[in-house]
Amino acid sequence: MSAGADATSTSSPAASEAPAPPVEDLFALGRRAAAARDAALGRRGTFARSRRLLGSGAWRGPRDASMSYVEASDLPALGGWAAARAAGAAVVVGADVATLRELSRDGARLVLRTVFRSGESEDTRSGRLRALAACDVALWGVIPTPEGEPYGLDTVRFTALCRLALPAACHVLADVERLGPRLAQMCLGFGADELLAPIVGERALRLGDNANNPALTRKEAVTLIRGAGLVPAERLLNDALEEVT
Amino acid sequence: MGSTNVMQRIRDKLRDGEPLSLEDGVALFEHRNLLELGLLANEVRERLHGERTYFNRNLHINATNVCEASCRFCSFARLEEGKPGAYTMSHAEAWGKLQARLDARDPITEIHIVNGLHAGLPFEYYTELLAGLKRLQPSIHLKAFTAVEIFYFHKKYGLPIAEVITRLRAAGLDSIPGGGAEIFAARVRKKICDDKCTGDEWLEVHRTAHRLGLRSNCTMLYGTIETVDERVDHMLRLRALQAETGGFQTFIPLAFHPDNNALMKLPGPTGVEDLRTYAVARLVLDNIPHLKAYWIMLGVKTAQSALWFGADDLDGTVQEEKIYHMAGAETPQAMSPNEIVRIIRNAGRAPVERDTLYNVLAEGEALASDKPFRRDVRRHALEVVP
Repeated sequence: MSAGADATSTSSPAASEAPAPPVEDLFALGRRAAAARDAALGRRGTFARSRRLLGSGAWRGPRDASMSYVEASDLPALGGWAAARAAGAAVVVGADVATLRELSRDGARLVLRTVFRSGESEDTRSGRLRALAACDVALWGVIPTPEGEPYGLDTVRFTALCRLALPAACHVLADVERLGPRLAQMCLGFGADELLAPIVGERALRLGDNANNPALTRKEAVTLIRGAGLVPAERLLNDALEEVT
Repeated sequence: MGSTNVMQRIRDKLRDGEPLSLEDGVALFEHRNLLELGLLANEVRERLHGERTYFNRNLHINATNVCEASCRFCSFARLEEGKPGAYTMSHAEAWGKLQARLDARDPITEIHIVNGLHAGLPFEYYTELLAGLKRLQPSIHLKAFTAVEIFYFHKKYGLPIAEVITRLRAAGLDSIPGGGAEIFAARVRKKICDDKCTGDEWLEVHRTAHRLGLRSNCTMLYGTIETVDERVDHMLRLRALQAETGGFQTFIPLAFHPDNNALMKLPGPTGVEDLRTYAVARLVLDNIPHLKAYWIMLGVKTAQSALWFGADDLDGTVQEEKIYHMAGAETPQAMSPNEIVRIIRNAGRAPVERDTLYNVLAEGEALASDKPFRRDVRRHALEVVP
């Protein structure tokens, strides 16, 4: 999944240079967000075997995936959402609210990349998220997505803000590919409830060109979730959750 | 005893300035609420250093990776000269690293030198290495040779440890880095690094250095096969030596990197485990002033996060780091002072440029960054929760 521009962005360079108002203590913010996650979705961290429909019409990922998604940017090449749905896609991931709003009318499950930038004030971010919460798009989930190389604290704070600002039922996904496994796991402590990563059968040998392979085995995903203090559960077809003991 | 009671007991001890026990340390590692742990560690960190977060301008020289030891976690060493990837720098090559920085008008205050245990080099190789660097820049601080190397010199050249250190000091040595401690527990050392000095010998080298007036750092390699009891035991042994000598400046937890070595089947520590280890270290090691988040091996994102979990130091600009990069570290090999300043400010902390001995060289407005950014954090008093 690739990051794109967020249509709800309002920050400007000038805004980022203004003195930032005080922000909430990291630990208080994290605990509020984790408590909100626990109250809404349980003290659970989930993962799913996913596959992606590419713009070429080919699938990347296992045939028996429980989550079949398409990037909104690939839809034109595929002939639109109807064609993607006919091919088997059930979820659209995008960074543009207006595009997703259109698709929601056609029955797609929507996941929005909420983009944030280093140097933005927390007020700016919260305002943007409040505006998103108030708009008429029913999001299944959001993926906090840094623009450029993420800072660790920026990312966990923004994850917590997403959890607190958006509707309780909205999932907050930690993108292992974008954040790396270490930071993605930390996000689970700040209100995220799902790890977004390719789940594969065998552990990737992360050497050479493969050094940044984001794929996780089921066992690795479970270890990350359990290590974050949550109960691991696999999201199966039809959204059934199977706790991993 | 319930988790809430344990945390309350530990909080009371910290408030009263009472050192934590092995049992306390293990309980902290097992406490499931990372933010609770972080909050406690952060209180200690801020009591010691406020918002100050230290860094320096340094250069790493790993003059040789030829090494008699065969530590199973190591990706850097090669057993013999001539093996693929093996290298030994000439003096001119090593000195050239510093000369290049001087030529580029890129000032540094410290050179960090760590090498393999090379069976074929005379002791004079090392003394001349130091002396040549001092000739190029007399003010440079040479933090060189781990306790493992110094103990090896002691054995190989038949010199008492104190004599080894005295001769190196005469050649230019200013302080000793903390590497090579791994985990002191004999059970673990037997399995991962059986052919180098023991934990007691490592401590004896630092004890001797401290008695001779040198400062040093200390480390712990975590994430291989050790238990949390063994991690805490390691910390307590460092704390005991510090109580005796006061010579340690900084504790540096080193996360195991699993690529390119004999332990590559192990997963390595996760991000939460990193932060937990930093937080516990800050709470247990109450008499070691600084805790360093070594960004080279933690990664910048985790290192920055660690600044709220007990760490007060990000190490330095670093250049030419080889040891962790040969183990699969994906971090850059150097960061500019501006980048470090920006990372620290983005964390809501106050950057301070230091020298090796933590004398302040610059802070506040004197530290420019091309993107000044500072967060003021509103404080909350939080209660202990299970």
